[in-house]
Amino acid sequence: MNQPTVLIVEDDEWLAEQFARALKKENYHTAVSLHALSAIEMVDKVHPDAIILDVLLTGSTAFTLMHELQTYDDTSRIPIIICSNLASELTIENLKPYGVKRILDKASMRPSDLIAAVKSVLL
Amino acid sequence: MIYMSTDKWECEQSQEGELVNGLPSVVVAAHELKSPLTLVRQLSLMLEEGSASAEEQKRMLRQISLTTEKALRLTCDLTYSARLSDSLFKLEPINPKQLCEDVIREMTPLFRAHNRQFKLVSTRKPLLLVGNRDLLRRIIMNLSDNALNYTENGERVEIKIETCAAGQFVRLGVRDYGPALPKDTLKMLNKKLEGASSTPVHARPQSSGLGLYIVSQFADAMNGSVGITRHRDGATFYVDLQSSKQLSLL
Repeated sequence: MNQPTVLIVEDDEWLAEQFARALKKENYHTAVSLHALSAIEMVDKVHPDAIILDVLLTGSTAFTLMHELQTYDDTSRIPIIICSNLASELTIENLKPYGVKRILDKASMRPSDLIAAVKSVLL
Repeated sequence: MIYMSTDKWECEQSQEGELVNGLPSVVVAAHELKSPLTLVRQLSLMLEEGSASAEEQKRMLRQISLTTEKALRLTCDLTYSARLSDSLFKLEPINPKQLCEDVIREMTPLFRAHNRQFKLVSTRKPLLLVGNRDLLRRIIMNLSDNALNYTENGERVEIKIETCAAGQFVRLGVRDYGPALPKDTLKMLNKKLEGASSTPVHARPQSSGLGLYIVSQFADAMNGSVGITRHRDGATFYVDLQSSKQLSLL
């Protein structure tokens, strides 16, 4: 059976690598985009089953990407997990229309929280 | 509170980024330190789990030490920034080539770990400039850090030394080969840098702009100025300092 693919959109290269490391350990396929523009191309290329998304990115914010994803029927169904240092200032109610299913606080989460969030949105 | 619109977010962010008694606010400094601390914590937690291979562990430990060094550099810069108003920084003739070579030597491990090249492009014998060695070193390191974040994997960052205005001043520029800066961002940045802005200026939404603010403050303390040139494939952030009347003997 094919393992799900998770796209990590995070502009801190080493943090993205760390998230990928944690996910690969659980046998997920991973792809990384360091900014929102390349993330849009990557979505077309790898058809991710879930997206882990930082809020503040180089060039444009996560909201640009989420708007773009909501424009198309297929990409609007990809569950998004926001993973940000600004998590305390975001609410899931406000972000639900953008396909956001979970919000993780980068500063307090553990690698296992990331895995649990991915598992929960892929149920 | 975060708003959905980027403009509104930036508006709110700049309000929080206001200076307090001429110094960066605690909010800005905390925001800037949160990223490296977050990374160090995530890597440490993974190492604690003990499931990484020996090679992976080595890489993660290297990332921890380099990220910690970067955070420590920022805390030192903040201390210097707070002391600028009540301390005198000795200005002396400096060989810019030697100083840039020292910075490159110091930062090459960080660039290598990110798979970026870092090199000096200079005339053989640039003029001496007048500045404070430590402040100038910190400026070049901040600009290099900024360029590293902006440069694509496998690309290069260059430090360039030029003599400008018929030898009146020396320009030290750090060139990145990343995505071009939008024209309006460039205009806003240059305007803020020229006008000694009371708010930190940032070229990227995720940055508080503290690095550029510190650079501009340190340059000001040496009677210098900072600016940005936009290229089709990146940008050059530079500092201009007066050249020394003393002959270049080095």
